[in-house]
Amino acid sequence: MSTGTGTRELLIRRSDGHMQRFVVHAGKYTSLLDGLEEVRTKHDRGLLYRHSCHHGSCGTCGVQVNGERALACTTFLKDLPQETRVEPLDPFDRLGDLAVNAAELYRDFPRDAGYLRESEANPDTEVPQEITATNRDAFVRFEDCIECGLCVSSCPVTRTFKGPAALAAYGRELEKHPEREEELLPEIDTPDGVWGCDRAFACSRVCPLGVAPARHIAVLQRRIQEHKGTEKNTH
Amino acid sequence: MSSPSIVIIGGGGTGAALLHDLAARGLRATLLERGEFTSGTTGRHHGQLHSGARYAVRDVEIARECMQEVEILQRIAPDSIEMNYGLFLALSDADVEYGRVFAECCGAAGIATRRISTDEALRYEPGVNRDALLAYVVPDGTIDAYRLPMQFLASAKANGGVARRFCEVTGIESQAGTIHSVEFRDHVTGRDERIPADVVVNAAGPWAGDVAALAGVDLPITPAPGTMVAVKKRLCNMVISHLHPPGDGDIIVPQRGIATIGSTQWETDDPDDLQSSEQDIDWLLARADDLVPGFSSQPFHAAWTAARPLAGRSTAGGRSLSRGFSVLSHAADGISGFFSITGGKATVLRAMAEQAADQVCHFLKFDRACATATTPLLSHREFFRRSA
Repeated sequence: MSTGTGTRELLIRRSDGHMQRFVVHAGKYTSLLDGLEEVRTKHDRGLLYRHSCHHGSCGTCGVQVNGERALACTTFLKDLPQETRVEPLDPFDRLGDLAVNAAELYRDFPRDAGYLRESEANPDTEVPQEITATNRDAFVRFEDCIECGLCVSSCPVTRTFKGPAALAAYGRELEKHPEREEELLPEIDTPDGVWGCDRAFACSRVCPLGVAPARHIAVLQRRIQEHKGTEKNTH
Repeated sequence: MSSPSIVIIGGGGTGAALLHDLAARGLRATLLERGEFTSGTTGRHHGQLHSGARYAVRDVEIARECMQEVEILQRIAPDSIEMNYGLFLALSDADVEYGRVFAECCGAAGIATRRISTDEALRYEPGVNRDALLAYVVPDGTIDAYRLPMQFLASAKANGGVARRFCEVTGIESQAGTIHSVEFRDHVTGRDERIPADVVVNAAGPWAGDVAALAGVDLPITPAPGTMVAVKKRLCNMVISHLHPPGDGDIIVPQRGIATIGSTQWETDDPDDLQSSEQDIDWLLARADDLVPGFSSQPFHAAWTAARPLAGRSTAGGRSLSRGFSVLSHAADGISGFFSITGGKATVLRAMAEQAADQVCHFLKFDRACATATTPLLSHREFFRRSA
């Protein structure tokens, strides 16, 4: 069970269910995704796995590594045991080998949710006039959530449930656009919405970007209750 | 030809934008990608939306084209761009001198630049090198290298475009000098399939030479890989570049909570051989400190390598090859209806697609103008939400 550089034996779950063993190089900076690339380009061109950016931004390369959900591109072989099991993310539909169909992940995302937010980097810095000239007064950045599905895969709830990724997206959208409350809150004030959460916090623990979906769900629950309280008082 | 069949080979940014362009013009097209969409070069690119400033001194036309596309992409896909502008930092007297030519060439290319003092640069970006002599502000930005192409694919799908992943092309057939069909293996089903094709567009980037060879065509391409390294901190909001002739390790691109230094460049015959060397990674981290001191002491996030698809063949350093792109008809090679897109870069993906679609329409005698410069793209999520 030694860790460090050298080689690793990857046991990869293939489409037919069996685990196939491949030995790959493990350098100082070699990621698990680099290891899968080595298998595909040198041993088996038909190995199926999803990948795009190789730096934790696209969210396509989620897998189970020795039973833990992780992004293959930011998991480093030197930190893994000599023999490492690599399996697809459940419970998504499987395309083959390690590749899953992500469509289900997006099913319950709020419609028209934007993907930009204000940047938190270097707070209180001045913004160049080029930016203020475009009616913006702050630096922006993409949302943290890369829609990798690790949270959905980790969630222990087995009932019909919109799931942590979609609910976190509702949380983010309402933080940015409180004026959409009347429209969006009823969509998640349902047994399969925020009330479907069992508060296991697996989603927040696994999230590689620190989105904390469980916190968003708790905030949304409170917000719905407060909203109803306000409604009662006004009627 | 009532409803011609068009096949696009390659599901990177260029192929995605082309599928969208053709579908929007009302043409029936199918895109085949051997892996996940954007898994070749597109997804792995540095993420810089190039104003063109970097290229202006050497090639004013490429720079102008970049600037036009930056403006267009801001209109049609604002959610896939962190439009925070860029800073070019002068670190030596020679850089200051280069700055004069730089500003002049940017002006000629239609790129708005503004020369500012180091003090002003530090007010925008307190982390940059305090020994900088001056800086220029340019309209650079950061692209989501996965979601921008997925926006094109989502929009294409809404207009009937078909995009298939994990489908590896194994043969390109022609008959009597005309393109006839494409054979491929669907790795998901394990089945070999064939689609008839009146037009085939090779948009395989650095693999375009391999794809052309399937049709017996020699296509001069130089795959030129480069390595990038990201640390776990968003050290800046603007793209930080070294004000000097383009070289290695001279751009830091922020994105979400990370910052990425790139790139290196070498040449290879095999675009599948994309290993990042420890030497390059350590060298890049050291270079990053010249622009943003302390970069290399941030926690390591990831290192990766992408192959640029440079057009032409070179024997002496890929930076001498142009970053321009061309759409080539292979009629001269004996196959009409077969086209290849060579060269180019992420920022101009839409323009590459427009030029390729124009050539396809001209070949098919199909008269419908390009509308992609003014049509907002659908959200990337729509690709997965829409059934085929």
